[in-house]
Amino acid sequence: MSTGEEGIADRIGAFGHEAVRNGWTTERFALLGLLGLVLVAFGPTFQVYLFTEFMIIALFALAFNLLYGYTGLLSFGHAMFFAGGSYGMAMVLRDLTPHVADVVGSGIAPLVTFGLGAVAGVLLVLLIAIPVGWLSVRLEEIYFALITLAFGMLVFSVIIQNPGGLTNGTDGIIVTLGITEIAGIEFRLGDRQTYYFLTAAVVLPSVYAIWRVVTSPFGTVCKAIRESPDRAAALGVDVTYHRWMTFVVSAAFVGVAGVLMAGLANVASPYHAHWTTSAIPVVATVIGGATFFAGPIVGAFVFLYVRWGISRFPALEAHWELFFGLMLIGVVLYFKQGAAGGLLMLRGWLLDVRGAYDRGGTDAAVAYARESASARLGRTGGPSETEGGERE
Amino acid sequence: MTTVLETDGLTKRFGELTAVDDVSLAIQDEGVTSIIGPNGAGKTTFYNLLTGVLEPTEGTIHLREGDDLVEITDAPTHEVARRGLSRSYQITNVFEGLTIRENLQVARISHDGRTMDLRSRAASDGPINEEVDRLLDLMGLTEMADRPCDALSHGEKRSVEIALALAIEPTVFLLDEPTAGMNSTEAREIVSLVQQLDDDLAATFVVTEHNMDVVRDVSDRIVVLAEGAVLADGTPGEVLTDERVTEAYLGSEAV
Repeated sequence: MSTGEEGIADRIGAFGHEAVRNGWTTERFALLGLLGLVLVAFGPTFQVYLFTEFMIIALFALAFNLLYGYTGLLSFGHAMFFAGGSYGMAMVLRDLTPHVADVVGSGIAPLVTFGLGAVAGVLLVLLIAIPVGWLSVRLEEIYFALITLAFGMLVFSVIIQNPGGLTNGTDGIIVTLGITEIAGIEFRLGDRQTYYFLTAAVVLPSVYAIWRVVTSPFGTVCKAIRESPDRAAALGVDVTYHRWMTFVVSAAFVGVAGVLMAGLANVASPYHAHWTTSAIPVVATVIGGATFFAGPIVGAFVFLYVRWGISRFPALEAHWELFFGLMLIGVVLYFKQGAAGGLLMLRGWLLDVRGAYDRGGTDAAVAYARESASARLGRTGGPSETEGGERE
Repeated sequence: MTTVLETDGLTKRFGELTAVDDVSLAIQDEGVTSIIGPNGAGKTTFYNLLTGVLEPTEGTIHLREGDDLVEITDAPTHEVARRGLSRSYQITNVFEGLTIRENLQVARISHDGRTMDLRSRAASDGPINEEVDRLLDLMGLTEMADRPCDALSHGEKRSVEIALALAIEPTVFLLDEPTAGMNSTEAREIVSLVQQLDDDLAATFVVTEHNMDVVRDVSDRIVVLAEGAVLADGTPGEVLTDERVTEAYLGSEAV
């Protein structure tokens, strides 16, 4: 029995070793990721829903981090763009569906209206972001956070006031995606699985687009502004204008996330504009690590799945925010660069354990693991980083 | 000899205090000009006025652009930089979290007017990186190009800072205390570097400096500021033997 266990452990060890050392090319990772995405779609309905929500929140946080982690401006009002996207979508669906049906026929109308709604949502966001950004980027640091918070609450109040019957006040606008019929095939856009694929088809290219933004000359200048705005200005960069444009780009992608959220939640709710919604990308980014491109994605994953994990225990569910707070404290204290930084540290540590195993077998590996773990609990510096660095 | 930078009656008052008092100077494109003076003489305020960080209370600033002298008195910092006035800082100011290469890419992106370019990739863009490689080579930074700046020594950061300021191909390069915090060997290296750059490049160098040995070695012309006004102006031989200058320095030390 023990030999069998060792065989499996060896095989897992060898696989992991192979994977992190040399075997996993970007292509293989991408392929495996896509396969995983398809597999999730055939899971239980609730899991499909949860993963869809994760993708939307990940896009939300990633777009937020364009301004925070990359440009150094902490916005506490990005919910206004999230709501802008969802309300733009919801209002088009509510008011234009019959007209669209008249033009393109009732079969394809729900899909076409959804597309129009998405465009309207993003345009509405631009309409808000261009003036709000122009005013806000004149301030920095805590003042910037406060003015964006103020604008966010302003948008929230306007939605609650129900101007001209447009936003339907505190109830929000119900979103009905309807039944689409193309060439005799009927499908419900609101079906969990269909909507999951639709979300993936929007989020994946958006993530790639944001990646292109941060690696472009534009994004490089963003990072420079984060590091030293006066230095950037002395090199000829119009810092205020650049921050404004980054604000608008960030808001537009948040708007896309908001559009998707309206379809998933089947409602454009004032809650989408509330400041607690603005806190979601902040928390996700801090948990995941603002200095890594993938940090907000990891953070969004942790945020949603920990909440789900806690909600499975009814006794804990009422206090899930308490557990979440404890987790946040743990991350901030022990992982300076968030969960994504933690994963990189874990990778380094696993390589070190493997190295100890190569030199002295299982005993050495266990001894190394025990030693470094107790060292980590004693102080917050990473033993794996320094020791791993020395060997290579 | 042509004038590249000219101030006329430049004055800056902060309430009751006159930090820069009616300074009229013309900087020529030949040789290195040093601006010296005791602490509080207004050197840094003068630089901040030139680079658009502060707005002057009175007076004008003109900068050479081609055949013309263009007024830059009320231009914001980034516009002054685009027109050809570049600077280094007394306390090294580089993009700490970025690598040396990324630092220089930022400067070249700005110089090429491509800050809004979303389509190319900064890391592999031809025109940007050709110039970056040339600058790295010029400043002897090629070997360490991919190290983040927060891992560099003070002297290395100083080199990055000079490379950054040169990367935007300035007409006039203002160095603010380039040898601050350096030992005498490093200071001598900076002197020969500045002299060599002044010979090789089109840029005109203006230096503020505390270290009198450096001033004597590097300057072709010295302007002395005291209490915000020009006290003396001439060759090192003339200025450093001027009684009023010694008095201003000794006076300040006595206080």
